[in-house]
Amino acid sequence: MLSKKELEHLAELARIELKEGEEEKLEKDLGAILDYFKELQAVDTEKVAPMTGGTQLMNALREDVTGSTDDTGKGAAGFPDKQDGYLKVPPVF
Amino acid sequence: MSSPLHFLTLKRFHEGLLNKEFSALEMAQEHFTYIESRDPEIGAYLALHRDEAMRQAEAADLAVAQDKEMSALAGAPLAIKDNILIEGTRTTSAAQILKDYIANYDASVITKLKKAGAVFLGKTNMDEFAMGSSTENSSFQKTKNPHSTAHVPGGSSGGSAAAVAAHMAVASLGSDTGGSIRQPAAFCGVVGLKPTYGSVSRSGLMAMASSLDQIGPFAKTVEDAAILYNEIKGYDPLDATSDPRADADVSKALLNPTLGQIKKLRVGIPEEYFIDGLDPRVRTKVEEAIGVLKSLGVEVKPVSLPHTKYALSCYYIVMPAEVSSNLERFDGIRYGTRHPADTLLELYKKDRESGFGPETKRRILLGTFVLSSGYYDAYYAKAQKVRRLIAQDFDEAFKQVDVLVTPVTPTPAFRIGEKMSDPLSMYLSDIFTIPVNLAGLPAVSIPAKGFVDADGASLPVGFQLIGRRWGEADILGLGQYYEKAVQ
Repeated sequence: MLSKKELEHLAELARIELKEGEEEKLEKDLGAILDYFKELQAVDTEKVAPMTGGTQLMNALREDVTGSTDDTGKGAAGFPDKQDGYLKVPPVF
Repeated sequence: MSSPLHFLTLKRFHEGLLNKEFSALEMAQEHFTYIESRDPEIGAYLALHRDEAMRQAEAADLAVAQDKEMSALAGAPLAIKDNILIEGTRTTSAAQILKDYIANYDASVITKLKKAGAVFLGKTNMDEFAMGSSTENSSFQKTKNPHSTAHVPGGSSGGSAAAVAAHMAVASLGSDTGGSIRQPAAFCGVVGLKPTYGSVSRSGLMAMASSLDQIGPFAKTVEDAAILYNEIKGYDPLDATSDPRADADVSKALLNPTLGQIKKLRVGIPEEYFIDGLDPRVRTKVEEAIGVLKSLGVEVKPVSLPHTKYALSCYYIVMPAEVSSNLERFDGIRYGTRHPADTLLELYKKDRESGFGPETKRRILLGTFVLSSGYYDAYYAKAQKVRRLIAQDFDEAFKQVDVLVTPVTPTPAFRIGEKMSDPLSMYLSDIFTIPVNLAGLPAVSIPAKGFVDADGASLPVGFQLIGRRWGEADILGLGQYYEKAVQ
């Protein structure tokens, strides 16, 4: 159901490195799950509008007003690598 | 000789606290003493917040001494699932990638509970990022079922369920995406409520599948669950799916339901939930519970939810799709441990490889698949349409009845290790809880009276009451009268 090539492509898209030996089990598990999903093809959804979320709200708007915050840098405390309160990242290329 | 303090219900604790029969500090201390002796065997807690809990308990005692107005939760020792942020404390979602993460703000439910004067005993174990049905997917430890340590407590909120079942907390909070409160509540023999979508703020709950996630209480009684729900619900501008209707005051119907109101409820039995795969021991217990409900004078009749059998497939497409998006933030840049890498892409891949457990990876890959070009329409778009049909089934049923009664799980708690090698068999343990999340409804899992024999152990069984949106008072009111009837 899911080829090794497809699995590798998915892993690339999901930014997850697959370990040796992990691929076979994932192919088998995901294949079984995708097979199970086939039952949905039997459902007639021709005239059904997709339900795109859990909420019944149409819009969730708020006043567009400025505010101030004193917690600047709070989030930085947990960064794995940082310098002077800034997030440090490795080279992109 | 009165029973030990840690056996008290939330309601009884509150009365005793106000009457100065004991202090909140004594209650907290006794809980910690008991946790020390019992939790090494159960493994419900990932972390204890002893010092802060003592301060919170003392503050409650001071308020009592000064005759201040007290909330129903003042001084109450609670356990909190480890995917809910408490500022300044480690919050891991039982995930390796967050093992050193310190929350830098309070979840909105925590803000509410702090205002109410609650005491936080600590954080509870769970399946990594709330993905699992047995708490075996925790990166850190296994939690055992307090009724039999060879059995799972259920999941993903297994630690929160076990903590209450073993009297290591008076009540607790969990989160429920496809049954993660109700299923462990049933396995552990406690009450667990999944509230209406949008009634309890998700701000500060680590997102798993945002259109399905809801925070809710575990408690020893339905009445206690109603008390806790009444305190945590409410509109919150920090959660864009929080609904203003959550601010409606329904406390009278929630906390003091009258038998007159309850008798007027029409109760439906959906035939699709009493299938061949339902364990006969569970069936018997649920049928006994239905008998008790009938004895209260409510009208009971059969109803049909024809798309029920498609709910599992629908859920295992919608949920992983949202998971794969929500967990993009765990990229090794802002969270996790940096591995040596030459490029950013290599760093992402290495950090996510080592930071996520097998089930998390499986769901991210599955979600990536159903959202990917070429498969989107056949899987994700199809599942969203089926989701609508499942929700419409409930709408139709609620034209005829006010509450639905179903089993919570197809079987009693299974053995530790039994389903770990076969993900699909694990997923099937949630078939009766998933439809509720897809439709955004409230549902409560209540222990049926008595226990069943299950491979050498005596285990509890739960039944589920499902209400229409905002119908918490219906299901919790009926549940409270069930509880009185079987006492």
